[in-house]
Amino acid sequence: MEKEAAIIGYAQTPYEADSNCSRELLVLQATRAALEAAGLKREDLDTIVTANNDYLDGRTISNMRLVEPAGSWRKNESKVEMDGAFALLYALTRILSGDHDIALVVAESQASVYGGILPGIMMLDPTFDRQRWLLNEVSGAALQASAYMDASGVSEEQIAGVAAKNLDNAAGNPLALRSLPGADAAKVMASRPLYSPIRDLMMAPLCDGACALVLASGKAAAKAEKPVWIKGVGFAHDSYLTERPLESMNSLKLAAGSCYAQAGIEDAASQIDLAEVHERFAHEELMSYEALGFCGPLQGGAFFDSGATRMDGKLPVNASGGAMGANVDCGAGLARVIEAAMQVRGDAGKHQAKGVKTALAHGQTGICAQENIVYVLGGE
Amino acid sequence: MGAKAAKDPVPRVSIPLNPVFGWTVGNWMENFFDGMKEGKILGSRCPDCGRVFLPPRMICERCFAKADEWVELPATGTVQACTEAAVKVAENGDMVDLENPEIIAMVKHDGADTCITARLEGADASIGMRVEAVLNPGAENVLDLLAAYRPMG
Amino acid sequence: MARNEVAVVGVGLSKHVSKRRDVNMAELVWEAVSACYEDAGLKPRDIDAFATGNMPAFEGVNVPEEWGAGHWGAYGKPVLRITTGGTTGGSVAHGGYYLVGSGLYDTVMTIAFEKQSDGNSTMGLNTVALADAAAQLQLGVDPAFIAAFGGGAVGVAVYQASSYMKSSGCTTHHLDKVAALCRNNAALNPCSHLKQPGLTPEEVAKTTLLQYPIRFGHVCPATDGACAMLFTTGEKARKLTSKPAYVLSVASCSDEAALVGIAGSGTTNVDPCEQESCKLAAARAYELAGISDPRGEIDLAEPYSPFAHQMLMFYERLLLCDEGEAPSILDSGSMNLDGELPVCPSGGVISTNAIGASAMERIAECAMQIMGKCGERQVKKEVHKAVAHGWGGAVNLNVVAVLSDTPRR
Repeated sequence: MEKEAAIIGYAQTPYEADSNCSRELLVLQATRAALEAAGLKREDLDTIVTANNDYLDGRTISNMRLVEPAGSWRKNESKVEMDGAFALLYALTRILSGDHDIALVVAESQASVYGGILPGIMMLDPTFDRQRWLLNEVSGAALQASAYMDASGVSEEQIAGVAAKNLDNAAGNPLALRSLPGADAAKVMASRPLYSPIRDLMMAPLCDGACALVLASGKAAAKAEKPVWIKGVGFAHDSYLTERPLESMNSLKLAAGSCYAQAGIEDAASQIDLAEVHERFAHEELMSYEALGFCGPLQGGAFFDSGATRMDGKLPVNASGGAMGANVDCGAGLARVIEAAMQVRGDAGKHQAKGVKTALAHGQTGICAQENIVYVLGGE
Repeated sequence: MGAKAAKDPVPRVSIPLNPVFGWTVGNWMENFFDGMKEGKILGSRCPDCGRVFLPPRMICERCFAKADEWVELPATGTVQACTEAAVKVAENGDMVDLENPEIIAMVKHDGADTCITARLEGADASIGMRVEAVLNPGAENVLDLLAAYRPMG
Repeated sequence: MARNEVAVVGVGLSKHVSKRRDVNMAELVWEAVSACYEDAGLKPRDIDAFATGNMPAFEGVNVPEEWGAGHWGAYGKPVLRITTGGTTGGSVAHGGYYLVGSGLYDTVMTIAFEKQSDGNSTMGLNTVALADAAAQLQLGVDPAFIAAFGGGAVGVAVYQASSYMKSSGCTTHHLDKVAALCRNNAALNPCSHLKQPGLTPEEVAKTTLLQYPIRFGHVCPATDGACAMLFTTGEKARKLTSKPAYVLSVASCSDEAALVGIAGSGTTNVDPCEQESCKLAAARAYELAGISDPRGEIDLAEPYSPFAHQMLMFYERLLLCDEGEAPSILDSGSMNLDGELPVCPSGGVISTNAIGASAMERIAECAMQIMGKCGERQVKKEVHKAVAHGWGGAVNLNVVAVLSDTPRR
């Protein structure tokens, strides 16, 4: 895609264990700030796509009460019940169709008001797995990690190292909920065991928050300051978790393939300057290196050990701290897109990496990262 | 970012909801449960690609064909993935510590192409381990017909 | 304007009945999906993306695509889940329009469904109201009182119906006539749920009064069912079929949410019969479609009407006549299958309501009428342009689509 749609503004609320305010206020806060950042008013919006989930919000038709705070009163509005990174794709198609010029995407949830990992359990096959109460997002991830470790030889310490890198990076991100400056693998390994090999610090912390992004058509973006162009997008759905090989992220690989084809990326490791991946569990980041083509199959551990993905490496991954710093259900993938856009603009402050011209962002939904979406973003 | 959200305590109300769902399992899963009542493990096979689904699926997602051939599978299989659970999920969604950790495994039965997730008896597990299903044909709840797996040996 | 012309080349519907105990949710949806592939002569490998949705809370399954989409031929493809309550099916089909229109995906299957017998839809609808009710619980209002008056669609519908009757002159006899018209149409539709051939308004008038003015005969059933549609580019559509149904435009409009959790549901801050957002969405859809005179140009309408009065109310809000005129237009016979502007030829939502699918089935019916695939219920006049509608949320969400036998401009 060549200058057909661009991100022209964005905002994130601080991520907190308990934001102590209503979801409507979180959405209002993020929406107003994103509009302000884009230099626009509510009246300028043509279409709004929200990302939220009835189970997380505890109400049927979770978008229905977000009409006012999302600025969609008497406007064209819809909802994607997945991560906001997928809602962004819907907004993008709305713009590319030519019917709309300015779109707002806003994503939210509040872990402080829903029952921990219960909504994830409700995603399981209701005829069997759901009722047997063994699988959930954490035990599912642990099973995937075990399969990946067995196939690749990656160790628990390497997985802990990824978590430590991101928690250290999160120290530079003022919005992050959780950070551990100077963290190392040993610190992560000492945290509470959940489902082996997953420990508390290898699991992204669920929290409260909202984030919003303003997307503009090429024509509308031409007037904006520092537009961040969407160069490509790819999205794929994988099989249910018991019906696919768990040691690789096939749908992420497919998504990356179609995204790279649009963006003209032939060698991801050399053409991409920075990546923000949605690692809900630390081992997923290692698996994503492979699926995104940063390294060869089963080479994620070695690629991490090379230091390439550290802040000062040749391809920093999750300079923001990633989801390890804060993981708002429905929002953390969109937050990755926002963080990648900040890096392209050079607006990331203390966690700004050097020389970012082309950045990749990834979002996911579902147990064992069943649905994956990838964007490549670029500046002028 | 604009002003932080107001920090006055937000009034909270907890609303207990106990909706009752009655999920239809469909003829394929019913056949699976009926088989186990007779001590048989039945999978469905795709006539196009030959893949065998256990638990059975009506549709092969790769071929979009009706997997309407039935095969009886042995009780034996191989561990594809496993985890030692130090916690379990309580009804409120919290992860609470287990007094005795337990093993959860994904098992591919011999002759099957998909996995069943179940508890694995014993304290040790590894990928590639040979196991067999512990059937409980008299179970009142069909979900307990396949009670667990145990290591072969 | 759209980068790609968008056309419908296939429609598939499952059986629609109260309880399907032989299939689970994913398998029920497969029936519609498989019929749709067959209708269009396409296979899963021809599909570039899927858009899907249902009312999530009703069956207690969160993102059922995770478990189900493999049954629908979606392996390895994008599956975008769009859910917006009663408008879900419409919103999902709009997703199909935008995904194809964007030029990113050429051929898109849209799928909407509900298996109400698996779940508890009154509970589902009550959670629409519960968060509002929470505030009242805190004030010491008796929960039983809130439950009795708070949620559920019937609560809102009676207030909406009486408000509409007062402003339009619609009588209870008109409600009976609407029900009879729709159920007779449904009798000609193999995929409808409540088929009552020969039903008369007099018989409807004898059914139990639920809450004035709504009788049992004025209300939709709870249905298990699914609908699938195939959208593709104009160019590909013309190769696939001699008579595609082009989607000229889609528009949605979201209004202030009514406070439904209070006795007098839906009437405390808005008049639920006003439906300004329906008028705005319709106006925008006609504008995008290049229709300047909807009354003269629209040949057929499928308004979303789970309750009898809504067929007339939304006929007006879709700008097909002046406000208050619909009852007399009904009396004129114009809305019949052989009339000047047939309404709900499918039998409407009042005859079949698999909630998440319902708003898509309105669009599907318009497409099938344009393609001439409606068999016994095919309307007498030739259909060049048709309008489909969906309604939901806290009486505040409206979606409109305009279809045609000729492409946009």
